[in-house]
Amino acid sequence: MVFRKYVTALTLIAVLPWSAAMAQGIVPASGYCVEETENPQQRRRPGVPIDEYELPKCEDVPDEGRISAWVDPVNLGPHVPDRWRIVNSIGINTNLWDPYNGQNWLKGDMPVWGKDWFYSIIAISDTIVEPRRFPIPVGIATSSRSGSLDTIGSGETTILATNLILENVFYKGNTTFKPPDWEFRFTPVFNINQVHAGEKGILNVDPDKGGRSNRRRRDTFMGVQALFADKHLRNVSDRFDFDSVRVGIQPFSSDFRGFLFQDSQFGVRLFGTRNNNIFQYNLAWFQRLEKDTNSGLNDVTQDLRDDHVIAANVYWQDFPRKGFFSQGTVIHNSNREKGQTEYDKNGFIQRPASLLEERSRNYEVTYFGYSGDGHFDRVNLTTSLYYAYGHQTSTRLAAKEEKVSAFFFAAEASMDFDWLRPRLSVLWTSGDDDPFDDEANGFDAIFENPQFAGADTSFVIRQNVPLIGGGGVALMGRNGIIPSLRPSKEQGQSNFINPGIQMIGIGADADLLPQLRLSVNWNYFRFDTTKVLEAARQQGPIDNNLGHDVSMALIYRPFMTQNIVFRLSAAGLLGSDGFDDLYGNEADTPYSVLGNITLMY
Amino acid sequence: MKKLISVFATISLLAACGGGGSGSSTVAAEQAAVDNPAPAGTPVTCGENCFLSAVDVEKVIAQAVAEAEARNVDATIAVVDRVGNVLGVFQTSNADTFITVTSSNVLGAPIVGGLENLNFIPAPLAAISKAITGAYLSTGENAFTTRTASQIVQENFNPGENNVPSGPLFGVQFSQLPCSDFSQRFQNGAASTVGPHRSPLGLAADPGGLPLYINGVNVGGVGVIADGIYGLDKIITDFDQDLDELIATAATVGYAAPTAIRADKITIVGKTARFSDASVTDLQSVPGQSDPIATIQANGRGAFVAVTSYFDGAAARAGTIFGQAPSGIRPADAAVFTDAAGQSLDAFVFVDQTNQNRYPARNGLDTPAGSTQNSLTAAEVQTIMNEAINVANGSRAQIRVPAGTQARVTVSVVDSNGNILGMGRTRDGPVFGADVSLQKARTATFFSGAGRPAGQTPADILRGFPDPLYLSPMTLPISLANLVTLASPAPSFSRYVLDTQLFFGNGDALESTGGPLAFSDRAGGNLSRPNFPDGPASGRPGPLSKPPGEWSIFSVGLQLDLSYNAIVQHVVHVLGAAPDVPQNCTGNTGFAATDPFTIQNAATNLPNGIQIFPGSVPIYRGDLLVGGVGVSGDGVDQDDMISFLGLHRAGVRLGTLGNAPPEIRADRLGIPGEEARLRYVNCPQLPFIGSNETEVCDGL
Repeated sequence: MVFRKYVTALTLIAVLPWSAAMAQGIVPASGYCVEETENPQQRRRPGVPIDEYELPKCEDVPDEGRISAWVDPVNLGPHVPDRWRIVNSIGINTNLWDPYNGQNWLKGDMPVWGKDWFYSIIAISDTIVEPRRFPIPVGIATSSRSGSLDTIGSGETTILATNLILENVFYKGNTTFKPPDWEFRFTPVFNINQVHAGEKGILNVDPDKGGRSNRRRRDTFMGVQALFADKHLRNVSDRFDFDSVRVGIQPFSSDFRGFLFQDSQFGVRLFGTRNNNIFQYNLAWFQRLEKDTNSGLNDVTQDLRDDHVIAANVYWQDFPRKGFFSQGTVIHNSNREKGQTEYDKNGFIQRPASLLEERSRNYEVTYFGYSGDGHFDRVNLTTSLYYAYGHQTSTRLAAKEEKVSAFFFAAEASMDFDWLRPRLSVLWTSGDDDPFDDEANGFDAIFENPQFAGADTSFVIRQNVPLIGGGGVALMGRNGIIPSLRPSKEQGQSNFINPGIQMIGIGADADLLPQLRLSVNWNYFRFDTTKVLEAARQQGPIDNNLGHDVSMALIYRPFMTQNIVFRLSAAGLLGSDGFDDLYGNEADTPYSVLGNITLMY
Repeated sequence: MKKLISVFATISLLAACGGGGSGSSTVAAEQAAVDNPAPAGTPVTCGENCFLSAVDVEKVIAQAVAEAEARNVDATIAVVDRVGNVLGVFQTSNADTFITVTSSNVLGAPIVGGLENLNFIPAPLAAISKAITGAYLSTGENAFTTRTASQIVQENFNPGENNVPSGPLFGVQFSQLPCSDFSQRFQNGAASTVGPHRSPLGLAADPGGLPLYINGVNVGGVGVIADGIYGLDKIITDFDQDLDELIATAATVGYAAPTAIRADKITIVGKTARFSDASVTDLQSVPGQSDPIATIQANGRGAFVAVTSYFDGAAARAGTIFGQAPSGIRPADAAVFTDAAGQSLDAFVFVDQTNQNRYPARNGLDTPAGSTQNSLTAAEVQTIMNEAINVANGSRAQIRVPAGTQARVTVSVVDSNGNILGMGRTRDGPVFGADVSLQKARTATFFSGAGRPAGQTPADILRGFPDPLYLSPMTLPISLANLVTLASPAPSFSRYVLDTQLFFGNGDALESTGGPLAFSDRAGGNLSRPNFPDGPASGRPGPLSKPPGEWSIFSVGLQLDLSYNAIVQHVVHVLGAAPDVPQNCTGNTGFAATDPFTIQNAATNLPNGIQIFPGSVPIYRGDLLVGGVGVSGDGVDQDDMISFLGLHRAGVRLGTLGNAPPEIRADRLGIPGEEARLRYVNCPQLPFIGSNETEVCDGL
């Protein structure tokens, strides 16, 4: 009766703290013993040392002093197979549709196989409606309507898209605070998207392609955003500091705000903690997957790209002050895509970019970074600083290399006043001041996904405004803050010949109701240098000042959970001289509206 | 922790290890080739009056010979001045007599038809065409080469980028034709040097034609052919070591284009133009130390060669000073070319050898709607030219540096029958734009001629031309007796008319029974693209183009076919077996069994051929076609705008004419089976210097 034995032993341990008091004339502690040597599994708690005390075996204790533990049987109620199902026994039953009530094997509340293999599914439906307006070009040779005599066309476009994300996790584990021994994860994402545009040749390189009036594109795709196995290698301390290795398509973020590399990519990652979780480390190698053009999801049906990311970082908790995380990182991006040509699903060239020489290239760039996140007293602060150094194939001169040297800095400070959190954000990425010399000084990320300065609420960060008349590239990428002049951040190469950007912004998050948050942002953008833009546009001086990006977002969570979230945001770009130089002063004010419903199970 | 630190160190080292060297040494060497050695003949203190002296020409040729010899190859070298005077044609001792025209030396199956595979073209004609291309495309603010030309005349821009629209100067290779009525000819014995001259094969896309500069002034070009192939570069993503280009690069040392204005510092819709894949660092000779030409000749290593109608073979000649009367281009009478306020426009005109303006504004020679009353008047023509040049002067150039400099072009105005009513140009416009602007003006006028009286419509005129007779590659030995026509393909002008009518689903298209329809060159040029809509390879051929297997830049369809017989006659003339071609590219019977190379039904409408890239609009009185205005010299969008807006402003000033009414423009036309519409013009997004005005053509 193994169970019984455990109960005995556990009880004994439980009374130990009182043993000193009890010893007064009753029973000497040395009389306690256990029948067998096997120790019950010890309970561990964070921060509490394991009691090393072991009871002697009864056979080793002299008979005269021996005393068997007296146990008062506890009525445990009806028999339950394991502790996961205890609540069933008191009448709370599984409801698969309501994970908040009852034990649910779909949510990892109880094992699905064996004693400690759990399964958990998170299903998310994420739908967006995104009407927007910014300048787009009229087709060079043919147009959608007569009377189009100029270059800039009707800029209204509308995006409708839904992602159905099914995150399946299967893991072998023990308790909640200890990492699982094994974890297997598979996250397919089903996407359907539809875009309307006012001009031809925007959605597909072929102006004859598309639905009604050839200005609509509908597409579906299934991407794999996670597919990995995670092995908990070992614990290295009694505080569950550990080493784990994870192999497969897995999420990774280079820093706290996704400035450099935040993506789900195929790779191998060794990670763990030390010193009671004061230090966390990652050593990772990724080889990047091709992305699907219209959904932005991983396309596992294509060959892996010749692009490798090797990352090493260390997080230092409570450094330099309690409440603040510091992180040092070195990330090397090795891109060997010279000689390759890649078109996206819509027929537009992605590699090499249709910009300047349009020759393919390799690059080897190492990013040295420091990031911090936390608070100093009442001031919340997050910051990242990167220096990129390396070299790339010269696209202008045969068999030559160009030096890459560029920097990135971003910081956001905020402070909470009851329900209001005002924010101050600054960002600066270096630009290249001569596209025809042998140095590339524009900072570009590997795959940025910045959660900064309003993130996708911001017009500049969210919208991929084309650099009209300046090659088949976007001035700013979608969901990107660096004006990297890539065809897209998903499929293009990093471009270190870009104008760079400076931003200062203020904003605030206001929790108007427990269910309702209002965010407002004002961000001012100016290019670090416009020489690259002047070269690409073959245009005289282009002013550095891009404009004021004003946005607001309402987030409504009716149940104060993430299960149902409504978000409505709107942004407008009030162009300054630089915008006027690129798109004219008669352009209608660019805006974007983003309606978003997220339903999560 | 120590382990982690060592990993960091390893990764840091990865960043430090480099590939090839940096480019600064190449850049320095290129700059040295601009500055050193100093020109041999003309002092660099010539200022704006620089020109190639005979000594300079010899120096350029000698440097080319040195490189050819260092590479142990033979070459034909030609040097021209900026208006196309041939200053020297030189061949090393065993140079090819003939070259082969082909687009297929790089990729794909051979193309059949047009100029493809012609193998009896004298090598000097190829070298001259390449030299002229280098000279004509370049100015004091842009240095372009035949490699630049190759990049911008192909079916996609950039070449090799699938499914994107064609090159901006698609079709420019068939300009400056030897049969042009505008282009000047070399007159043996006469002292005349006035240009712009014709080019024997039109403009060249075969790398190895570079401009020559002294003191930053474009003074001419050098063209080399050593590989026997007159082709193009279809793959521009690599760096070629092209023999012709390497030798031409050696030739330019000391006369090289300033690095700051080379094509590779200039972008066209964001894409950098190509200048040359060869660098002076690739050379195997030491150009500054080449033997004098006299030594080369005395050693029997090479000689000047006579080229009928181009060069007498005696010795190097001096070139002209560009912009002065002997060059055929000089400043206009400041009182004639003025803006509305009477300010001089700094215009230039084309003059003959007696320094008379060849094309002062004059009244139309036509009778629109049966009445000379409807013809354009000289005053109207002058106003149109003035307004167009005024627009150009205020516009930002696409192809010139520094960015923000003004556009430089030539403006031509023709009447409804294609007669030249006036030509003028801005300072320092590229020379090729003269013939091209005229081609454009005539093309827009010609194709807008539906509804005109029988015999004057595009359909009637086209059907009246003798069909082109394509020639086969000649079997050896190369001899005129071995000339054979090609059985297939055998294009016919009637077929082009019919195909166009089928394309529009309208049997009256181009006919006198057709309604008025205004074709700008941008709209009409779409019909001459190998795919419609322009770009995607899945599109059917345009009705004036050719199907796959027959289309290349040497076999483009109607544009070449109109002039094919005349071009062939000129080649045969240089070979000594036919008189020179008349100054009209159309109506030539070609290599026919009976009456070869005679003129039948030549039309005044298109005497220098058609042009199929944008930059012209027809001129209307109400809805009556009375002429056309063509502009060439800058980016095609700028050319478009200068013609369209220039005409519009002239119309506003005059009140008697203007652009076609919007309802009869070709962009109103629905095309059966196509969603896409033609475009009439495409004005640049922010065209004017010092202004953020945009949509400048909207609603006009």
